[in-house]
Amino acid sequence: MKLGALIRKEFFRFFHDPRLIVTMLLPGLLIFILYSVLGSIVSSDGEEDATYSFRAYLSGESQTVAAVEAAIAAGGSTVEWLPADDLEAAKREVKEGNVAALVVFSDGFDAAERPSVEIYYDLQNDESAAFAMLAGAVLQEIGARFTVERVSVRADAELGAQIMSQILPLLMAVLVFSACMSVTLEAVAGEKERGTLSTILVTSVRRSHIALAKVVALSCIASIGAASSFLGVALSMPRLMNVSMDVFGEYSAASYLLLFPLIVSTVPLIVSLISIVSAYSRSLKEASAYTSVLMIVVMVVSLVSGFISVGDWVTAIPLLNAVAVMQTILTGALPVWQALVSVGVNLLFTALAVWIISAMLSSERIMFGK
Amino acid sequence: MEVKAEEIVRAEGLCKSFPLSAKLRRIEHTSKTRQIAVDGLDFSAYRGEIYGLLGPNGAGKTTTLRMLSTLIRPDAGDAFVCGHSVVREPGRVRDKIGFMTGELKLESFFTPDYLFDFFGAMHGVEKAVLARRKRELFSRFGIDRFAGVKVKNLSTGMTQKVSLVVSIVHDPDVVIFDEPTNGLDVLTAKVVTDFLAELRAMGKSVILSTHIFSLVEKLCDRVGIIIDGRMIADAPLGEFTREKSLETAFFDLYHAVKGEEL
Ligand SMILES: Nc1ncnc2c1ncn2[C@@H]1O[C@H](COP(=O)(O)OP(=O)(O)O)[C@@H](O)[C@H]1O
Ligand SMILES: [Mg+2]
Repeated sequence: MKLGALIRKEFFRFFHDPRLIVTMLLPGLLIFILYSVLGSIVSSDGEEDATYSFRAYLSGESQTVAAVEAAIAAGGSTVEWLPADDLEAAKREVKEGNVAALVVFSDGFDAAERPSVEIYYDLQNDESAAFAMLAGAVLQEIGARFTVERVSVRADAELGAQIMSQILPLLMAVLVFSACMSVTLEAVAGEKERGTLSTILVTSVRRSHIALAKVVALSCIASIGAASSFLGVALSMPRLMNVSMDVFGEYSAASYLLLFPLIVSTVPLIVSLISIVSAYSRSLKEASAYTSVLMIVVMVVSLVSGFISVGDWVTAIPLLNAVAVMQTILTGALPVWQALVSVGVNLLFTALAVWIISAMLSSERIMFGK
Repeated sequence: MEVKAEEIVRAEGLCKSFPLSAKLRRIEHTSKTRQIAVDGLDFSAYRGEIYGLLGPNGAGKTTTLRMLSTLIRPDAGDAFVCGHSVVREPGRVRDKIGFMTGELKLESFFTPDYLFDFFGAMHGVEKAVLARRKRELFSRFGIDRFAGVKVKNLSTGMTQKVSLVVSIVHDPDVVIFDEPTNGLDVLTAKVVTDFLAELRAMGKSVILSTHIFSLVEKLCDRVGIIIDGRMIADAPLGEFTREKSLETAFFDLYHAVKGEEL
């Protein structure tokens, strides 16, 4: 009953204050606006000033090749054509980055009535993208008679998944952390500073209940903020990265079923970590300073985990496990056991943290020290 | 001769010292690593009376009251509130006392109505009992008209009344009040002193600490004079004021203990 009243108090405080609700939902909205704007700038910024010595496969014949060569030379670059016997092998080489592109003219291009030209290139490779841009533009300019098609050698979804798996976990870590930070600092360090926490400590309510109520209620609230930010990212990411929304359809329902508890399990852990820092600090200001340090640590950890290949041992490390397993899931795999173990480990550490918080609430040195 | 009433709080050899951090040592110009705040304090307070702990700043009043309210643990000694030990049964003690200081604040976002119910729940007061107490106390102290107004929109005096009423939501036998009028303007201070007198009229026992002579003279039935963590004198107010003013009596005792230094 006391626990319930404590939890309800936190919810009441939050949901009856429009200011708090707005600050919780705003980041998601801002991210969406910012990234969408950023995305449209990035995609219009395609001109390449760099010069290249292109090597490209050529299949079929056309007089327009000379125009392409001239345009490339005008830009200060050169092109060496290689005969393409095996189209599939040529596409593979484009994908591997050995050649810039594969240009395929349809049979009897110069004489046919509705001929077409296809340029196979790799969006992720600057040189390849520059070649496709240049050659495509020239051909489009001369040819009202024929169609020009630029074809990426990578499937969109594959490309999207790669980007998602690299960026999303880090982004999630930062977003979840900020959501937790904004509620927890206020509700723990703020309450301690204002003296409203002591008023509760004077009553006969158990310290463990105070700690548990804070972590439960704040985690729920922070999850709302994190979900809003996540939606903001998810909706704007494809536009920013120039990949289609289909990316999200590529992940199976099972991936989402794994991702969800994984992300959710980090929220109470982060909330309780910030609570520990807040309970220790003498003021809100001090708590914010310590929490920023904690945030940097979390960011570095998530960033690093993107570059090192991690073994199963990583599931034993709270927070890092969520980032690493999330990366794995986003590349299309389904690491069920790692995900479950990670969730368990995170919850275990949360329980430990709650215990620490209640010990801190009982400590006269921390609560009433000078 | 006064008739001795039932003993409700008894302190037996209470001791408390604090570690002094390097920073505190510098501020206080001392090389000691521990500061003795309370040094073997004995006293008794009686039901239905207001007991005043009178002493200068740093005498150990706050530390004593915090030990009585179980916020901090004595290094040695014990105190009993309604027969419960603050060391062994802190939970029982907390249900018997209401503790007030200027440092304890109410979340100003909430209304008196909400806060009363919330703290009632914290003390485990039954719903029906709580509703009845709320009606009684709110009308007795004139809060009822403001029950639905957020505390931040209330006057200082009304806010103070709400704090006071909330601290006795669970109908405690003993109210402990550290420096009741410190930092309050005259009107708000009067709200507080009236409240304390009202509590006594309701049959409650009060233990307060102060360094203000007039407050003790006006309110207290019994006075304990505390200097450097020790109880120098402990008697009914009348015994201090029979021949001289309380102030004179206090300084006579003070000089007897500390010499002429001030
Ligand atoms: N948490 C603490 N840490 C260190 N010293 C303390 C602490 N609390 C009180 N003291 C010291 O103990 C002594 C008694 O303080 P206190 O009980 O607050 O006195 P009073 O309330 O009578 O002014 C003072 O010297 C004070 O500096
Ligand atoms: Mg004091």
